[in-house]
Amino acid sequence: MESRLCSILLAAALLSGCSWFHRGDKHPQQVVVEDPGAEPTIVEPQVNRREVKTPKIKAKDFELGVYMGALSIQDFGTNPVYGVRAAYHVTEDFFLEGFLARSKAGQSSLEETFPAITVLSNSGRHFTYYDLDVGYNILPGEVFLGRGRAFNTALYVIVGIGDVKFADQDQFALNFGVGTRILVTDWLAVHLDVRDHVFEDNLFGVDENVHNIEGTLSLTTFF
Amino acid sequence: MRRLLGLILLLQTLHLGIAHAAKRPLLQLVVTAPYLEMHSGPGRGYPVIYVIGRDEIVTVLFSRTDWYKVRAPHGEEGWARRADLSTTLLADGEPAPIPPYPDFPSHHWELGAGYGVYNRQNLVTAYVDYSMTESLDIEGVLQQALGTLDNRVIATIGLRHTFIPEWKWFSPTAGLGGGYQHIVDKVPPAPLENNNEMAYVSLGARGFITRRFMWRADWRHYDVFNHLNVYEDLEEWKVGFAVFF
Repeated sequence: MESRLCSILLAAALLSGCSWFHRGDKHPQQVVVEDPGAEPTIVEPQVNRREVKTPKIKAKDFELGVYMGALSIQDFGTNPVYGVRAAYHVTEDFFLEGFLARSKAGQSSLEETFPAITVLSNSGRHFTYYDLDVGYNILPGEVFLGRGRAFNTALYVIVGIGDVKFADQDQFALNFGVGTRILVTDWLAVHLDVRDHVFEDNLFGVDENVHNIEGTLSLTTFF
Repeated sequence: MRRLLGLILLLQTLHLGIAHAAKRPLLQLVVTAPYLEMHSGPGRGYPVIYVIGRDEIVTVLFSRTDWYKVRAPHGEEGWARRADLSTTLLADGEPAPIPPYPDFPSHHWELGAGYGVYNRQNLVTAYVDYSMTESLDIEGVLQQALGTLDNRVIATIGLRHTFIPEWKWFSPTAGLGGGYQHIVDKVPPAPLENNNEMAYVSLGARGFITRRFMWRADWRHYDVFNHLNVYEDLEEWKVGFAVFF
């Protein structure tokens, strides 16, 4: 009897010793018998939802630039002209453009022949204009520089209306021209333009349409 | 020394600005069509220089009119048309945020310019318009009338109703508002009043030429308020072009 008790205790000690080796093991999961009448619990995941933002595409339809050139003011010689221009490209064909520029008239042929005569005062010699135009790219294309470089270009025509302030008076002016745009990079362009500003004038006593043709070189940026 | 410090700070700011601009995340799309054509320029006539295959990633750099500057997986760059890019998908399978056509009924801002006749004078007109609803707009107009006797600057603000906005090619409009005119005398005798307030009613029409480009025609009748105890009214008509954003 005693020996049996000892053997049982020994077995128990051994088993407990064995259980020491299993210390690191997970405890067996407790089986919880759910109450069939209770509502099932909803598990709320503790995860922060990531906001995914779709990057926006930048539209580069606006063009802004400066220009300089020579303006031939009818009867008053050819003079430097400086201006700014801004365009909005609506489609691959059409664009709307505005110009604002200033020049100063020289001596008329009458004043050169008869130096005593003054046709215009000093402030009246300022030739300031603005134009609002519609443009159409008639010949889009590419130009090549050597073997490895190509630049996009377009030959375009513009027509518009505006105001010319000359001889201290604002005049309604029609404006039309042709130009070429060379895109040096995607955001930088060089333009060569020839434009005519036509308005009615009676500086010399008769009403006449005067043509004021200018040739300009522009540097513009797209944004 | 201070100037040098300022210059260094400016350069650093510029550098940070450039670095920030360079880090701006770009839209990446998955090609689902058999291939996506890349043209050498943003126009229908420019030749196809590269194609991106199905399931490849295309990076969109920026847009110009209806064309998009894109980059292929190996770095080649070219121009893809809007209609082609609209078939691509985002990485999560959602459609690309590029509709096949610009969504023009949802536009708000409109900018336009045109030619007209105001009180028998040539008129240069420019306007900005904000649409509050699909059919009701608020319109601000700045115009210059250039005549033989005088020149005038006219500024008005008013409301405009478009009767059938879903008609694309021709849609009648009507409006009313108030404004101001300033008269610059050219030939004597000078006008008795150089500045007048005015009210107007208008009838007109508009139609789309392309999806972002439209024509407008407008007739206006102005009542001019003066202190001379005389009834004065003016008429104006004008035609022009407009774009919206």
